[in-house]
Parts: sequence; C-alpha cells; structure tokens
Amino acid sequence: MVLAHRFALASQMVTSDAIEATEFPELADKYRVSGVPHTVINLGAGNLIGAAPEEMLVAEIQKTLK
Amino acid sequence: MGSFLDDNITTQIKEVFTNLVNPVHILVFTSKENCEYCEDTRLLLEEVCGLSDELHYQPVDIDTDAKLAKEYLIDRTPAVAVLGMVDDKQTDHGIRFSGIPAGHEFSALIHSIISVSRQETGISSQTQAFLDSLKSPVHLEIFTTPT
Repeated sequence: MVLAHRFALASQMVTSDAIEATEFPELADKYRVSGVPHTVINLGAGNLIGAAPEEMLVAEIQKTLK
Repeated sequence: MGSFLDDNITTQIKEVFTNLVNPVHILVFTSKENCEYCEDTRLLLEEVCGLSDELHYQPVDIDTDAKLAKEYLIDRTPAVAVLGMVDDKQTDHGIRFSGIPAGHEFSALIHSIISVSRQETGISSQTQAFLDSLKSPVHLEIFTTPT
C-alpha cells in the first residue's frame, strides 16, 4: 500500500490521497510534478520526490510543520 | 461481472481477501460531466467489492449527492474513499484515491482495503510515536501514473 495511506490509517491527523497524475494534469502542473511518485505535503508546503522510506517521509513532514 | 479482472486476478484477490477481518466500506464518487474514467472506476470497484462479503460498495454521484461529497471532502472525480468499520462503527481514516485505481494503483487499493480491514499499518513504533504526537493536520497527496 502507499506509505502515505499507512500514515493515514495510523493517525486521524493524517489524510492521504493517491492521485493519478495523468487524469488531473492541472493539479500535477500546480505542484510541478514531473517524476512519480511525488508526494505533496499540506498543499505544497513540503515535497518529496521519488519512492521514500518511512523515515524520510517522517523527516519531510517534520520539516514542513516547523 | 468479470469485465475488468481476468479469472487469474479474481482468484488471487479472493485468496488475499480471505485475510479480511472487519468490514470495509468503499465510497465511489463519480460525476456525469467531463469524467472519462468515472464509469470504469465505478464498475471496477463494484467488481472488486463483489469478491468479498466484507466489502460494502456505495456509488455516489457528486452532483445529485453533493452533501455526501462535501462531507468526505471530494472535489474531483472519480474518487474512492476506503472507510473502516470496527465494532460496527464507521471510521474515515482519510484514505482516498483520485482517478481510476488501475495499474500500480490497483495493488495499492487492494493493500489499503486489507490494511484497513485488519487495522494494520505495518509502520514502525517510532513512526507511530511521531504520528501520535501530531498537533496539526497533515494532508498528503501522492502523484502516481498507471504504469
């Protein structure tokens, strides 16, 4: 399963949406998505490009919330 | 039935669905206008949900049922919400798919259903501790492509 979905299941503070980029090109453009997977945190406050291990997603969320 | 999934895939999914523990409620949001993949998404999810008695399928037309779409914060279609049901209490974990969950997304969908049903996150205790410490909402959007 998508790691972000695991986080959503683990916490009621987290929501997660797996978006098919080719069906929503405007949204993908808005976040300048060029490679996938590309994770956008809190509407662009943070970004994580590529498949990332758990610790990296945690670190990026921490960075975004600071 | 059987228009999206071949016999082999159907057999495999039925096999993994024997691991389901709690019911899972699946909402499929569609619209009639400007939605190339809405009908396929609806049919695909209907077919998947037909593979286990634990899965409850509910199609939602966001134009005629705008209230429900708003309640689940759906503003694009097709969209799928995977909701847990534990002790007869429906819980929205905030798990969504935007666009047809085919290709890579299909296995992510199946895994999500199983994880929600079993309430198993598979994350480390350190990560769980971090998530438990969150004081403000975190919204993650993961862009993927079908292949």
